[in-house]
Amino acid sequence: MRGAIILAAIIALSAALSLTLGEVHLGLDALWQGLWGGDGPGALTIRIIRGPRVAVALGAGAVLGLSGAIFQMLLRNPLAAPDVMGFTAGAGLAVVAALSAGLILPMPLVAAAGGLAAAAVVAVCAYRPGQSVAPLTLVLVGLGVAYTIAALGAFVVTRLPGPEAAEAQRWFAGSLAARDWGHALQVWGIGAVLALALVPQVRALELLDLGSDLAGGLGLRVGRARWLLALTGVLLAAAGVAVAGPIPFVALMAAPLGARLAGARGATGRLAAAAGAGAIITVLADLAARAAIPGLQLPIGIMTGILGAPYLLWRLSREMEKGEL
Amino acid sequence: MTLKAEALTLGYRDRVVIRELTLSPPVGKVTSILGPNGCGKSTLLRALARLIRPISGRVTLGGKDIHAEDTRALARRIAILPQAPLAPDGIVVEDLVKRGRTPWRGFLAPWSEADAEACAEALAAVDMRAEARRSLNELSGGQRQRAWLALVLAQKTPLLLLDEPTTWLDLPHQIEVLSLLRRRNREAGTTVISVLHDLNLAARFSDHLILLGPQGVVAEGRPDEVMTAENLQRSFALSARIMPDPVTGAPMIIPL
Repeated sequence: MRGAIILAAIIALSAALSLTLGEVHLGLDALWQGLWGGDGPGALTIRIIRGPRVAVALGAGAVLGLSGAIFQMLLRNPLAAPDVMGFTAGAGLAVVAALSAGLILPMPLVAAAGGLAAAAVVAVCAYRPGQSVAPLTLVLVGLGVAYTIAALGAFVVTRLPGPEAAEAQRWFAGSLAARDWGHALQVWGIGAVLALALVPQVRALELLDLGSDLAGGLGLRVGRARWLLALTGVLLAAAGVAVAGPIPFVALMAAPLGARLAGARGATGRLAAAAGAGAIITVLADLAARAAIPGLQLPIGIMTGILGAPYLLWRLSREMEKGEL
Repeated sequence: MTLKAEALTLGYRDRVVIRELTLSPPVGKVTSILGPNGCGKSTLLRALARLIRPISGRVTLGGKDIHAEDTRALARRIAILPQAPLAPDGIVVEDLVKRGRTPWRGFLAPWSEADAEACAEALAAVDMRAEARRSLNELSGGQRQRAWLALVLAQKTPLLLLDEPTTWLDLPHQIEVLSLLRRRNREAGTTVISVLHDLNLAARFSDHLILLGPQGVVAEGRPDEVMTAENLQRSFALSARIMPDPVTGAPMIIPL
């Protein structure tokens, strides 16, 4: 309970900071007016420009964090995450490819298809008949798939005309520029549906935490439960990518950070904490990206990259010390 | 309720580990499965617990193929403790034991009186009531194994399968675990089937032994029937002399 309050307080504080700080610094009075329908210039900035952006950041961060937590618990490996394993890159590539081909399709569906395709490629590449796949193998194969997709994405971008190429490249890095309330509604709506779908699977996640043999002995249909959880995880990540691009490292960092902040132990607590931590990381990284260097608005992905890459290195060295790598 | 393996062939992809094996451990007894490394003991146990599908043949419980049954319903009748279960990070003993109640609890069902009772009883059976709130990773090896046992005891199944429940334990703790299982058998009538390594302990704590060799079952029956020099030769290629142990009279193996 204390953990939940701490997380909620940090989320509210981050959101308030992100709404008031930026190229134009606003006071708390403008924030107040903006929230309750006032119409000064500050209030409009908040309602039309920063409000949707922060709402999208919170939603996208939460679904990415949730997705990362699912894969880390499912594979029992802190390196497992939809961004490390190429699922978000797959979703991102599908969106960029669809846009560049001029297809008018709902972005969440395109992103979901791309994410699932990338996951299928990872599963097929890691599959060895008659053997169970080690989690680390999945992570490493995913890493390879992620690089391949990034190369494909770079190729697609070079085929685009100038301004569109710049736009696509920016989006591919993960960007929250020019988001409106429609995007916010979309990621929150889809996120809520998927979170509800996750509720009945929490028990399966808890059982899988005991190892698949004991989980099976306790009556879980292990194979089916794993596939359903992976599907939910990929769809959650895709929902985030559809509105914010494949922001790197949020999914990787959210679960451990959330567990640390909230002191969560059980599966439900860890999932909720990961969603909260994902939201916090995304909102603050976006704030830093647009306010750190005056006059320069960086895509959020560059910020999470700066944070996330050292984290990944540290995590790798930890795993090596434990002898897992 | 009889658990039965019928013409069971088990293996992985192109490697057959167990061929055409038929057996049925006696109901309400303590049975131990023995055999050399790689003879398929663990594979057999996992197949009996429907964790792997046989290549051919079937495992039946009360005459019905276990793979045709609802897995949750089956988990109320057969519990298995695998050789190396994984402990969730930082979990306390009580929460671990509670997971044993999973097959009895409906979707979103609240924690019931019966659940609480089963857990309390399981903790008492392994003498861990005082450690209920302790974190699993601060416990000694023996205590940890007792916590895992409490989990499967809380499952309240008439059949209990255990894959080498005494590995990694020192001798006193091995004896503790095996006595505990035998007590459970005598008091609750639970059928206990374990894979064991130590021949002397198995002979002493079991009612029934199944001795496997490279070519399948070598002998099956009471410990004094199974533990013969000839059987050990055929199963383990071990030359040994068998003597009744001076305390209980159970067969004692002295390797030559």
